[in-house]
Amino acid sequence: MEKIKKYFKRSTDNNNYIGWLCTYTPEELILSAGFTPFRIYGSKDYNRAEGFFPINFCPYLKSSWESILNNDTHLKSIIFTNSCDGMRRLYDTCKKYSSIPVFMLDVPKNQNISSVNYFEFNLNNLIDFLNSLGNKKITNERIKNSIEIINKKREGLIKLNNMYRNSIIDIDTYNSIIKISTLSDPYLFVEELSNYIDSIKNVAKPKKPNILLIGNFINEDRLWKLFSELDLTLSYQDTCSANRYFEGLVENGNKPLGSIAKRYLYKSACMRIANLGNKITEIKENIKKYKIDGIIYISLKFCDNTLYFYPLLKEELKDIGKPSLYLEIEYNNFSEGQVKTRIQAFLEMIYT
Amino acid sequence: MSFKDTLKEKIKQNLNRKFIGKILALAAKKPVLYLFTRTLKSVSDKHLNSVSIKSFYKAYSKKSQVAYGSLFLPYEMFYSLGLSPFLPEVLAGFTAGMGIADKTLAAATKNWYSQDLCTFHRSASGAVEMDLFPKPKFIICTNLACDAAQKSFYIYSKKYNIENNFYLIDVPYDYSNKSIDYLSRQIKEVCYDIAKKTGKDLDLNKFKNIIKNSNKFRHWAKKANDIRKDLTAYPPNYNGLNFILPFHGLAGTKDAVILYKNMYKELKKYIGKKENIQHKKILWLHLKPYYSNDIFKLMQEGNCRVAFEEINYVYWPELDPSRPFRSLAKKMLSHYLRGPIDNRIKTIHKMAEEYKIDAAIIFSHWGCRQNNAGARIIKDSLKNRNIPTLVLDGDCVDKNNYSKGQFRTRIQGFIEMLG
Repeated sequence: MEKIKKYFKRSTDNNNYIGWLCTYTPEELILSAGFTPFRIYGSKDYNRAEGFFPINFCPYLKSSWESILNNDTHLKSIIFTNSCDGMRRLYDTCKKYSSIPVFMLDVPKNQNISSVNYFEFNLNNLIDFLNSLGNKKITNERIKNSIEIINKKREGLIKLNNMYRNSIIDIDTYNSIIKISTLSDPYLFVEELSNYIDSIKNVAKPKKPNILLIGNFINEDRLWKLFSELDLTLSYQDTCSANRYFEGLVENGNKPLGSIAKRYLYKSACMRIANLGNKITEIKENIKKYKIDGIIYISLKFCDNTLYFYPLLKEELKDIGKPSLYLEIEYNNFSEGQVKTRIQAFLEMIYT
Repeated sequence: MSFKDTLKEKIKQNLNRKFIGKILALAAKKPVLYLFTRTLKSVSDKHLNSVSIKSFYKAYSKKSQVAYGSLFLPYEMFYSLGLSPFLPEVLAGFTAGMGIADKTLAAATKNWYSQDLCTFHRSASGAVEMDLFPKPKFIICTNLACDAAQKSFYIYSKKYNIENNFYLIDVPYDYSNKSIDYLSRQIKEVCYDIAKKTGKDLDLNKFKNIIKNSNKFRHWAKKANDIRKDLTAYPPNYNGLNFILPFHGLAGTKDAVILYKNMYKELKKYIGKKENIQHKKILWLHLKPYYSNDIFKLMQEGNCRVAFEEINYVYWPELDPSRPFRSLAKKMLSHYLRGPIDNRIKTIHKMAEEYKIDAAIIFSHWGCRQNNAGARIIKDSLKNRNIPTLVLDGDCVDKNNYSKGQFRTRIQGFIEMLG
């Protein structure tokens, strides 16, 4: 990430942050309130946090709690979503043991008109909360401007995705820039990303096979480095840290809040949604669209949403004859040698 | 060998759906049921066993359409629709009690269910993989309390090829007029959709009567709970943690009314009865292990008694029979496990006060994130009220995670501390 940071100096120089953790958090509204949306990535080690949660609890949330406890991100507030049991308990813990103002955004699990309407109502509550922080008052006009810029950010990241899939940039660079996009002022980031894309002149041959990576919050520089050393392309990353974050634009019309509600409920889904059949359909479409040869399913430990999905997916993949590899890792920690050996064996299996 | 143990042994030796159905058909026969329940010492236990066997038999007998349901659903809707509810999570507890959880858990592992998941859901999933449960026509679940049911239940719908008959009742995080509207609409839509699929009109008069039954059940359950506030002695073998099925899955039935009325009458007889030793009163949070274990014996030896269990708390207001959907939405939204942990803590404090609790035990069931990750906050909140709390790590279903010595050390240490 360090080698790429120099291209994004201005956008990351900021101190008016509101923290968020889950891709169901509408960055548009945080931005409309005059704050910079800042994704919480947590601390590398989490010793203090261990005293608050059991041993078999999401390591990403533990790591996030450690960084909140240490106040190393100087956040003005944190927006939580009821994405999973773990997140609900992190919100409770944060409310009880920290002085940072927090808000819980209720995101429905069903996908229908009534859920969209209910979500829109909840977004109004979020607006009230953001207004209460006393920065900029949120207006329709400000929301529309924010939608425009966040959409531009998403378009930029999609361009970047195409560059990676054509081997013009490597996986490490690609994922580092996605990470930077979640930590920076979107207005400046869009400019800097455009400059960066214009500066790259490489021409390369795409690497094979095409792999679909499915998982949760995978943020591991060593893992990206490992992937970049192997002959493969992660054609689609169905994870909270990549495509599930930036795919799908918000329609910028007369009812901006309704459009935001719709985009977030219908975006590339997390396994938290009610109808897992829809998620299976989405995955199958991506397998076809990206000519996928194999699937690597990678989960942070103790993530119920991801762990429960695999038995279902495995059966479906068997039916369509696609091989898959299942990996479980800790947050900020995994056994590199072991993972590498397993991926290499998996690639060999695909080739034979 | 007792009648119950004989049945258990037979089922273990012939582990398949048909045989379980046959055994239940035999056990549900009036004379057999009578002879069996006669061996039980407490009236409440007799009724519990009788209604449980009848309910399971109905689901296995193919006489009515079976609908799987997760624990915290309003079962009044099932009975209004003429469905036989079947609760896989409760049955997972039975797999532990029957001594077959080793097999169901192994089947789940074989089918890629991670060992880090809750064993209630893993065991139930294993039983589905082994085809031990009756075939459902509908599957209804809720995300109230935890994420697990909606995932595993969806997989069941896929296994039984009834994805179009899968419903998730998505309970909002907040309690507000808007969330009541949103939830009551969901319940209404599910009811009408199922009625349409079964080719029947939704009988609103029947629904009203079921809601009335539910209110009667609530009335007696509350009375039974109230009487426990002053009890120092209990019927033999009484354990409140055994009544999960009737308290949830039978809400709206006459069976639940009769059971709780009789429980009240039985407990009433114990008012004023004193035991030789004065027991410390324990509030039990979450569930217990359903395989054979020494936990309650150890507590008894240390002069401690469970004075109340969180799972039996009547958390919902009286239902309005003229507005069934709205009433059931309010019932779900009133649950202490909905939304922030403050709801649960308020309820715990209320119970601690009403039952004059000396200490609390949080049973920290492996893989139950919603409970275990809140244990620290609950413990601290009780500490502020000078109520010591033991967080007892264990597993409700998998006996392999039960270490007798370790449990003894922890429970005895806690009891010693209570003085």
